[in-house]
Amino acid sequence: MNAQVNSVLSFDQVNAYYGNAHILHNFSLSISEGESLALIGRNGVGKTTFVNALLGQARVRSGQITVAGKTRSLWRPYQPAKEGVMVVPQGRRIIANLTVEENLLLGNAVHRKGPWNVERIYQLFPILRERAHTPGAALSGGQQQMLAIGRALMGNPRLMILDEPTEGLAPVIVDQLGDIIRQVNEQGTTILLIEQNLHLVARVSRRYLAVEKGSVIAEGEVDPGRIEQLQQFVVV
Amino acid sequence: MLGISIFNGLVYGSLLIICASGLAMIYGLRRVVNFAHGALYMLGAYIGYSLSLHLNFWFALLLAPLVMLLLGMLLDKLVFHPLQERDPLSVLLVTFGLLLVLEDLVRATWGRASLSIEVPELLAGSVDLFGNPTPLYRLAVIGLGVGSMVALWAWLRFARTGLYVRAASTDPLTTAMMGVNTERVNALVVGIGTALAGLAGVAAAPLLSLAPSMGADVLVDSFVVVVIGGLGSLGGALISAFLLGQVQSFGTIYLPSLSAVLPFLMMIAILIWRPSGLAGNRV
Repeated sequence: MNAQVNSVLSFDQVNAYYGNAHILHNFSLSISEGESLALIGRNGVGKTTFVNALLGQARVRSGQITVAGKTRSLWRPYQPAKEGVMVVPQGRRIIANLTVEENLLLGNAVHRKGPWNVERIYQLFPILRERAHTPGAALSGGQQQMLAIGRALMGNPRLMILDEPTEGLAPVIVDQLGDIIRQVNEQGTTILLIEQNLHLVARVSRRYLAVEKGSVIAEGEVDPGRIEQLQQFVVV
Repeated sequence: MLGISIFNGLVYGSLLIICASGLAMIYGLRRVVNFAHGALYMLGAYIGYSLSLHLNFWFALLLAPLVMLLLGMLLDKLVFHPLQERDPLSVLLVTFGLLLVLEDLVRATWGRASLSIEVPELLAGSVDLFGNPTPLYRLAVIGLGVGSMVALWAWLRFARTGLYVRAASTDPLTTAMMGVNTERVNALVVGIGTALAGLAGVAAAPLLSLAPSMGADVLVDSFVVVVIGGLGSLGGALISAFLLGQVQSFGTIYLPSLSAVLPFLMMIAILIWRPSGLAGNRV
């Protein structure tokens, strides 16, 4: 797969390892500016390894990763953000001893220009404004997820990658987050959603890639009315 | 008598906090137990000595820490960074080796004889404080200790880079994911920590004589301060430095036979009471 002109992120035949464990096998994908893509698959098929390869946390032995037109085989963890790729990591990883506002400011470390700033994040998630000066550790799971998304948006990303954002959240909060992610996409930010929750995928994504054993095995349009067809890729 | 003891405790506590805060920061961010920290304090004092001979004390106080800042950044780039995936014990051994190398290097450069820096003229006198004649220089050392802690606190609390340091000391990977070049943050922090050791060395030089082995006592006391304070915590280190200063100062007068072990008794007592130190795990 060649990097397209308007591709924000592409993996070309990437083989990634943890130590000697071969996790990603000739993994290829390309995500275009403005789209909303879902990466689906069961636990342990390599979805998070894909993120780790992008962040230089899994060892890429062959293949190339292109971010916003720049190709490298090894990316340092701080480099994708500079190219406008922000990650909402699995488990949220809110910095516990920083306040809500400091966590948001951290997201703006690369000073990319764009529409997002602290004020706009507070408009999107009013609860964060109320809790602006509490430490991140004191937030509920749902609030931490909002903060993780807000923090990523603070980097004014071209592409926001969300790694299992619904893990451990109540269904009503999942719906709220889904609406917000879709809204962010409609305002121009490309979205890559890594999920097993097909309900959220139906709400947010227009295209899907299914991963199994470290490779992409299927792809297609997401049809919200017939989402159960994707069950085979996520149910054990 | 009591007043003088408290005062001397404050002076020693001030030197300790400058030195130990550097050790705490390096541990907090790099997770490196830096055995060379005392030797860096000693090196700072010797560099200060040479600068004060050729220029004057004030230049020495300013420039020696700057030289140490650069050395510290180099130390991070050449030693700590390449070893960051290794187990902590090998890094500890390397810093111990570095201590030996630095001591020999200083011996080869400045000789074995003990040297001293003159108290600068401006601070040579003494003032009357609560009825006791108090050397101005010692008073200035307390001021320097307080001043550098306030500056360090303000930097960590209000500056952008300070925010990145606090973030990286809790979760370096997430901090990097947000686009912070944590390698550069690490180098800066090791540089500043080393500069603080150097600053303490220059400030201590007019109070005691310089010898290549002078880092040993300060190293041990700094470790006690950092452990009591809670590993990597600056607030905890601040409290424990002044506590240890008092324990040392009173111990020398009232319990001279025990004064060498008092810091350790204090450490044991505090760790029984609070196993992770005064501040727990906060920075």
